[in-house]
Amino acid sequence: MKIPRALSFLVLLALFQAAPLPGADTPTITISKSDKLSIAIGSLTGADSTQAVKILQNDLAMSGFFNFVPAASAGFIIGGASTGNSVAGTVTDRAGKIVLSKTFTGSERGKVHQFADEIIETLTGSKGIANSKIAFVATRTGHKEIYVSDPDGTGVRQLTSDANISVNPRLSPDGSKLVYTGYKSGYADVYEIELGNGSRNRIIKFPGTNSGAAYSPDGRSLAVTLSKDGNPELYVTSAGGGGPRRLTRTRGVESSPTWSPDGNEIIYSRDDPGAPQLYRISSGGGSSRLINTGHGYNTEPNWSPDGKKVAFTVRDGGSFSICILELAGGNCRVVASGEGPAWGPDSRHLIYSSGAAVILLDAQTGQKTTLVSGLGKISEPSWSR
Amino acid sequence: MKTPRLFLMLAACVVAVSFNGCVTGKKTTQPSGSDADYVNGTPLPERQEGVSFTSPNVDRDRFHPVYFAFDSFAIGGGEQGKIDQVAQFMRGASNTLIIAGFTDERGTPEYNRGLGERRAQTVREALIRAGVDGSKIQTVSFGAEMPADPGSNEGAWAKNRRAEFGVVR
Repeated sequence: MKIPRALSFLVLLALFQAAPLPGADTPTITISKSDKLSIAIGSLTGADSTQAVKILQNDLAMSGFFNFVPAASAGFIIGGASTGNSVAGTVTDRAGKIVLSKTFTGSERGKVHQFADEIIETLTGSKGIANSKIAFVATRTGHKEIYVSDPDGTGVRQLTSDANISVNPRLSPDGSKLVYTGYKSGYADVYEIELGNGSRNRIIKFPGTNSGAAYSPDGRSLAVTLSKDGNPELYVTSAGGGGPRRLTRTRGVESSPTWSPDGNEIIYSRDDPGAPQLYRISSGGGSSRLINTGHGYNTEPNWSPDGKKVAFTVRDGGSFSICILELAGGNCRVVASGEGPAWGPDSRHLIYSSGAAVILLDAQTGQKTTLVSGLGKISEPSWSR
Repeated sequence: MKTPRLFLMLAACVVAVSFNGCVTGKKTTQPSGSDADYVNGTPLPERQEGVSFTSPNVDRDRFHPVYFAFDSFAIGGGEQGKIDQVAQFMRGASNTLIIAGFTDERGTPEYNRGLGERRAQTVREALIRAGVDGSKIQTVSFGAEMPADPGSNEGAWAKNRRAEFGVVR
């Protein structure tokens, strides 16, 4: 594994600081002023550099890893040139050594998002979130339609205009397409939309209800709730919706499957214990295991890309909250009021819906930012990996 | 209370026989694995071309909706009479039927779609038990969409937790 230089330095520093002082009577806990890297955006030249600096600054701030400081005291200085469909970006350290130099091509925002993610990966080792996509349901038109946007809330695009019911969008891991549940036929079917050219296909249309499809991490399969055999159960199909293979067999309702990062397991909500609870099952089938959350009503689980956590919605006393469960220790904490959590690629941020907004939560600091609003009631957000 | 394991196995087998023929206690029914021993109801027939619950060729007012308790898909004692009426009609008619399941707004959306479908399927099974040909009954769930009463109070929620009957003309 590649350990970025800046991170190793921080770790060394942390170890040094955490060492107990010899001879001290009471243990001393040192709280460092900041675990953030200090950076500065130096000279960015080119035709659209003003816009590029704004996007970059926002992306880097959103990541939660950086403090912006004057160039003289910055650990790293960002520079480059942005014109047309490309940005040639550089990062130099305090000594003037180049730690990143690369050209990114794409749209005005896309190329800068790529640069931002590369800066984050180079300096922290963490995956960035800037060059991903989010999707959600909004009621601006008076109907539930599917929308996508950049994860900073810009570039909002309405994908469906059926004036019907279009819900539960789930982006493919690479963000190139999504599946959603649509009622255009009068029944709940699963549709797929290619984001590049907007083409749409109805891919799952068995008798009864077809809903809640979610891509596997390799993008080759879907987990989905189908009722064709006489009860809402979980199935796995190909990414194109073919060859359904049944996973569950209970009296109740199975819903909202979410995949482990290796694709070997699925966590979902199951209600035959009397109220919806989270269960874990092999994606090949077999018996399922209850995940004890300590809450009575648990739905909409979303497995973090690092595999360590699952975020989900609980209902307590008539209102909804977002919970994060650590799969290793079983520790479960309520982090916000809202519904439908979805982890970002960094396993640190998640989005959820709250009334008329998509909210971004930094699960490490608790900081909340409104990403999208003004589109009516918002529900069922999704985030690409 | 301790129930002897043999008795449980026998009971499970009896249930299995009544649904689908017994498989001598081995869990070999599906190659894809199984979760508990529940043998589901009757598979749905293919959808009819050009017909859905909301299409104009479907009569949605002929029978009273069946109502449900919060977060439940059990048919209450007072509701069975409505199902008997539909069963009586269906046994003597050549029409097909679409049962649409709905929930109140107090749940998360995807779970509500599943719960609505489960309500529709429960009513379908009750009709099949009452002698109606299952191949004439399709189901659909709208979850919390299309509430019968748009209010946000107990009275409205009670009207929205329902299964409606659509008779295909």
